[in-house]
Amino acid sequence: MKKILATLALVVLVAGAAMAQDELSFERKQAIDSLALEKVRDLSKYIKIVGSKETAWSEANRVIDRAEELFMSNAEIGVSSIASNKIKYYKVRPYFEHLMRLNYDRVEIEWYNIEYVSDLQRQPDGTYVGVITIFQTFRGYDKEGNLAYKDTTKKDITVYVKRKETQIGGRMIGFWDVMLGDMRVKETANK
Amino acid sequence: MSKKLLILVLALCFGILPMRAQSIGNVQMDEANLYAMTKQMGQFIRRFNYEEDQFGNQINPKDPSYRNTEKRRQSMAILFDQQTYGNQPDLQRYFIEDVTSNDSTFMTFLGGRWYSEVSASFKYKGKNVSIIMILGVEKEGLGSKWVLNNIYFSEFNKLFPTGEIAEKEKHFLHPMSHELDFMNIYKIFKEPEVIEYYASKRFEPDYLTLFFYEIKKGNLVFQEVESVKFHVFQIKDWYFEVSWFNRMGSNSGWLISNLIYISEKEKKDLIKFYEP
Repeated sequence: MKKILATLALVVLVAGAAMAQDELSFERKQAIDSLALEKVRDLSKYIKIVGSKETAWSEANRVIDRAEELFMSNAEIGVSSIASNKIKYYKVRPYFEHLMRLNYDRVEIEWYNIEYVSDLQRQPDGTYVGVITIFQTFRGYDKEGNLAYKDTTKKDITVYVKRKETQIGGRMIGFWDVMLGDMRVKETANK
Repeated sequence: MSKKLLILVLALCFGILPMRAQSIGNVQMDEANLYAMTKQMGQFIRRFNYEEDQFGNQINPKDPSYRNTEKRRQSMAILFDQQTYGNQPDLQRYFIEDVTSNDSTFMTFLGGRWYSEVSASFKYKGKNVSIIMILGVEKEGLGSKWVLNNIYFSEFNKLFPTGEIAEKEKHFLHPMSHELDFMNIYKIFKEPEVIEYYASKRFEPDYLTLFFYEIKKGNLVFQEVESVKFHVFQIKDWYFEVSWFNRMGSNSGWLISNLIYISEKEKKDLIKFYEP
């Protein structure tokens, strides 16, 4: 049911878009933004599940598989902190595995109620590119329950939006495919 | 779950899903500051033009408040680094008055005359060095891309110092050299440090080519990006620099860190560095 509805959503989304593929109308852009936000929210959810110490190893691995499916195959995650501007690069799976292995007894991951969506710009091959910015607070506690580490990070996530076609009931139906690309993770100041 | 999807489908039917940020957590601390932060350069442009409201919601171009002059005038001060411009309110006020009194002073992504300055560390012949790369947005194919326009590397600049005119005048091949089969041409190569004095007066060193050459030869190896800022010449009679301010409080993110009133004629010379 979920899949059928999702497909229907994409089909509805594309209706009327065929004539205006080059310039996205304000309303169309809003609709595409909401699809991209769904993917980013899924990503946020997966980060929280994988980061949690209560998540079983097998379940965390299953979630990492789902997280990988959100991203383009060559996507990278670039992480830096206030202490070091040096960007550390991860592929998606190693990034999640790193999160899973963090050496805290208990972890709290919370998301701020802010999602900022950029304009969509076209790259030379016609694919639309945008960036969604979200903020996360991470707290790691030791065995005694003391707060051992805390940071707030800004996550800038690349979003690729491409028009594709699929055959449904013998008819070619166009839809907008949304994939996540590189993600920049930057610690925000706490002073 | 299916209820959520149904809402999405209905919203898509009408093509009017709102941009409003939705809650996916319950962290409230500092949230107001993060709203106020200019989080992306694209948000700087939207705020500069008043194409989004104070909550970060994009305004429909058909809405009367889109690019509304009065609201734009009232909100533009948030785009200034107040640690610098809080002390120089007159310049800030003059800028805001000027750009909001003229219909043509909007900033656009594809409008040209805005550049990114990327400072990065490299290894040059095994030594750590810092190089500034200037990038610009160029239209290509169905869209656009960022391209390298120029670089600044002190080692390259040292190779082409601005020499004294009197010194330059001592170095030339006399006009009848051709009749002697250029037997005197060896003089050009006797002093490599001033070889460019023998070039045409139209000669300008091309640092980007030197940069590519050194990279290709393996002498220059990229390490990492150190910082990014933007230089904007797009607004008539103004230049400003936009830098990233990572700090607490409501005045953070991409903000104007330098502002200069400059005529369009004077700009032309400055832009040569950003777009040779």
